[in-house]
Amino acid sequence: MSTSRTTQRSTWRVVDIVIASVIAVASGVVFWAWSASYGLFSLAFTAFPPGTALLTGLWLFPAVLGALIIRKPGAALFCEVLAAVVEALLGTHWGMPVLISGLVQGLGAELVFALFRYRKWNLPVALLAGLGSGLFAGLSEAYVVGSVAEYTEAMKLFHVGATAFSGLVVAGLLSWWITRALARTGALSNLASRRAHLEPAFAVRK
Amino acid sequence: MSAAANGRTAPLTRQGVQISARGFSWQHAERARPAIAGLDVHIPAGQKVLLLGPSGAGKSTLLHALAGVLEVDEEAGPRGQLLVGGQDAFARSFPVGLMQQDPETQVVQSRVGDDVAFGAENLGVEPQEIRARIPQALQAVGLGALGYEHRTQELSGGQKQRLALAGILAMRPGLMLLDEPTANIDPQSIPPLRDAVIDAVESTGATLIVVEHRLEAWARHVDRVLVLAPGGGIAHDLHPDALVSDEELRAELARAGVWIPGYVPQTSPVPQASGAPMLHAEQLVCARGGQVVRTAPASFEVTAGSALVIRGENGAGKSTLALTLGGLLEPVSGQFAASGQLADGLLPSPFSWKAGALVARIGSVFQEPEHQFVTQTVREELAFAPLRAKRGAAEELKYDARQVEARVQELLVRLGLQDLAEANPFTLSGGEKRRLSVATVLAASPDVLILDEPTFGQDANTWRELAQLLIEQLAGSTAIIAVTHDEHFAAALGAHELVLAPAQAASGRPSSAPMLDAPVGDSWLAKINPLAKFGAIAGATLPLISTVDWVSAAVVIAATLLMLPLAGLGIGAFFRRGWPLLVAGVLAAWGIALVGQDSGRVLLDLGIFDITEGSVAGGIATGLRALAMAVPMVLLLSTTNPSDLGGALSQQLKVPHRFVLGALAGMRLLGLMVEEFTTLTLARRARGIGNLGTVRQRVGAKLGQLLALLVQAIRRAGRLATTMEAKGFGTGQRTWIRTATFTRRDGAVLAAGILLGAAAITAAIWAGTYNLIW
Repeated sequence: MSTSRTTQRSTWRVVDIVIASVIAVASGVVFWAWSASYGLFSLAFTAFPPGTALLTGLWLFPAVLGALIIRKPGAALFCEVLAAVVEALLGTHWGMPVLISGLVQGLGAELVFALFRYRKWNLPVALLAGLGSGLFAGLSEAYVVGSVAEYTEAMKLFHVGATAFSGLVVAGLLSWWITRALARTGALSNLASRRAHLEPAFAVRK
Repeated sequence: MSAAANGRTAPLTRQGVQISARGFSWQHAERARPAIAGLDVHIPAGQKVLLLGPSGAGKSTLLHALAGVLEVDEEAGPRGQLLVGGQDAFARSFPVGLMQQDPETQVVQSRVGDDVAFGAENLGVEPQEIRARIPQALQAVGLGALGYEHRTQELSGGQKQRLALAGILAMRPGLMLLDEPTANIDPQSIPPLRDAVIDAVESTGATLIVVEHRLEAWARHVDRVLVLAPGGGIAHDLHPDALVSDEELRAELARAGVWIPGYVPQTSPVPQASGAPMLHAEQLVCARGGQVVRTAPASFEVTAGSALVIRGENGAGKSTLALTLGGLLEPVSGQFAASGQLADGLLPSPFSWKAGALVARIGSVFQEPEHQFVTQTVREELAFAPLRAKRGAAEELKYDARQVEARVQELLVRLGLQDLAEANPFTLSGGEKRRLSVATVLAASPDVLILDEPTFGQDANTWRELAQLLIEQLAGSTAIIAVTHDEHFAAALGAHELVLAPAQAASGRPSSAPMLDAPVGDSWLAKINPLAKFGAIAGATLPLISTVDWVSAAVVIAATLLMLPLAGLGIGAFFRRGWPLLVAGVLAAWGIALVGQDSGRVLLDLGIFDITEGSVAGGIATGLRALAMAVPMVLLLSTTNPSDLGGALSQQLKVPHRFVLGALAGMRLLGLMVEEFTTLTLARRARGIGNLGTVRQRVGAKLGQLLALLVQAIRRAGRLATTMEAKGFGTGQRTWIRTATFTRRDGAVLAAGILLGAAAITAAIWAGTYNLIW
């Protein structure tokens, strides 16, 4: 057993699992707390409903945030899916499709981190992961799951672009910023990201 | 997996294990000095040991090492030898029970029975054997009256600690480690918890090590006292009587902040004052937003330069009253008014004041200091409130920048925090955080200061500094209101007392927060395997993805409505749960109608966009489809306990149990997090952050709140992970006391779901509305 207590970079420890879960659940709380304001915000887009895609990024941040904090393969997918499960269990939004969305959105971010072989966690990678998540979300809504299947082609393209942009800014930039702010508080002391606030924004980690 | 093997053959009572350390040291990652250095000690089996030492002497580290939950990596690791029962502690050959401070993170599962079983299941004990141990363990800790299905979230802090103890007993550990088990529970709950611990170790013969600041509760019940030296090793090894008789030892421990029996720290006398009235309450009744529980009516007056202590039973709503007095909650009924002098030109109701005006008049200090931190450095934290404090009816700034600078400097010196001025507030020690949280409020020099349990969990040194600081404020004619159980503290402040009668509605902690483990009732569907239900819903709704048409959607919606009785849901209850889905459906419909593909007659011309017959039809179909994919989920959610879903996922779909149970443990904290989010909102108003301001300020404020929530959540998760590891989680094969089964009835439900999906598509094709979206 003593061998299993030495960490390997890619294996999840209990603390990784529980913290990832709690990040996902906390994200679920944020979804819940903001769902009321989301209603108000989306009313602002009554004149141009496709604009609500700009708000989608808020639903994508658990994927990027979870991965930046836990830094293990599968973290993006796990956090996004679990956040979706929590949201579904709270019963405030879309039901079954929310699980599919969670899977697709998590996958978009996960692929980007995998592309960098789970070694880079800097700002450009975070932005790309946010973009990836948004792109997957937008494409699946417009062409696969078809929640906006009846849009005109131009509107579908707008929808995909707006969702991706929202993912880049809200899920990418915001998650990167939050990870650094968290590291500064010492809250990440038993995680691989404990020095995130000292890492350069653009250079490669070590 | 020797631990698992042990569990299986364990006798009902187990002998304690002995402990021996030889030259044992532990180095944490990123620390200059080892937490423990050169420790030599032998503890015979069955001995009861009280472990003391100044903060930073490595008490918790030693307990974690004995529990085998310290993590060895490139930077952190042990030297020397630490043996439990003759085996290396890090090999975890024997079950060891570990209980920590925070009651919320000592409980893992959402149902009482499951939580008691958790550790034993992880050790691979036979389910039948575990079922026999549960009632014994609950009986032993005095929770025998609770049903297995009782929700752990509804227990009080003291009860949660006792439940954690029951879970430890069910593991039959030969060693029990308690890390300040009573620091975060109220004083009345301490003796029953202590007695349960002592009874348990005496009847099982287990070895006991307790780390505790408050010795009164434990000193007479242990065999031996060990005092760790800050540099490493053992400073004293004594009989407990020495804590009462040895004056030199008492003085030394008191200097280290230990609460030795019969010791009250010295403070200055309180000046006699009969100041001007500040706050006046007449039959004041309070409640948290949206909750039915209300405090008993209270009438009192608060005058300048005097202290008032609020006492009352658990659940009486003392904190709620304090929040109301602090202008953070609106009174439910009765009168509550600030005097003309305090209001200083504003209306008499503090709740009506803007945040900046409030911090200059009434300051609130929350129980958890971290809830109040809003900046990145101690200096900014102290400057925050004075920079926002406003006075007079015209709400001009109370201080200019130079005055703020001077106040910050003065407070840094007064609190001995000069060296930490640029440190992040979250990285301070517990005592420093407490002092800082009081100072951040004092910085705006409010005329009234309100504190919620300021001395909870504090060592004697912080206690004295805090009392001294508040006595100075009284001398400066500030009025002080404190919610506290601490009689010595009340006496030190020369406080009047207000005893709040018990609250009027049910006891416990009812909460308006959403629950993930809501009771699921005993409807027909509640007895169906969660995976069968899940599969049925997938079978019914996923085919709808292929088409956007109203017929298939309508079939699924109609079938769902017909099945409501099986879920024990009335139509009213269904709509209460499902109304956001309706809103979403309508919104989706409108979106498509506006920008969807146009065809047919133009119904409405809106410039760039037209609403046409075609786009309206598309909109209706899209809306119905969204609804049809969502509503069946309500059937699943209202009849399924997430723990059962997790059990089925892990046992039947072989999803790794580490992830399933880890996720469930995280989900158990949901209610707590929602509560915390609400508290954070109040705490931020108490720091002078208003609801108004530029978009930038408001976004910044919300981000700060999100950050604070995450910090709390991540810290909790870390402690919860330690609890789970100490209970043997994630080390090997586990057993389950709730076995997931798949019966013929479950199969029928699954088949019905798939049939429904097929029927919906067939109906659409037959009606000619089916249109493939790809």
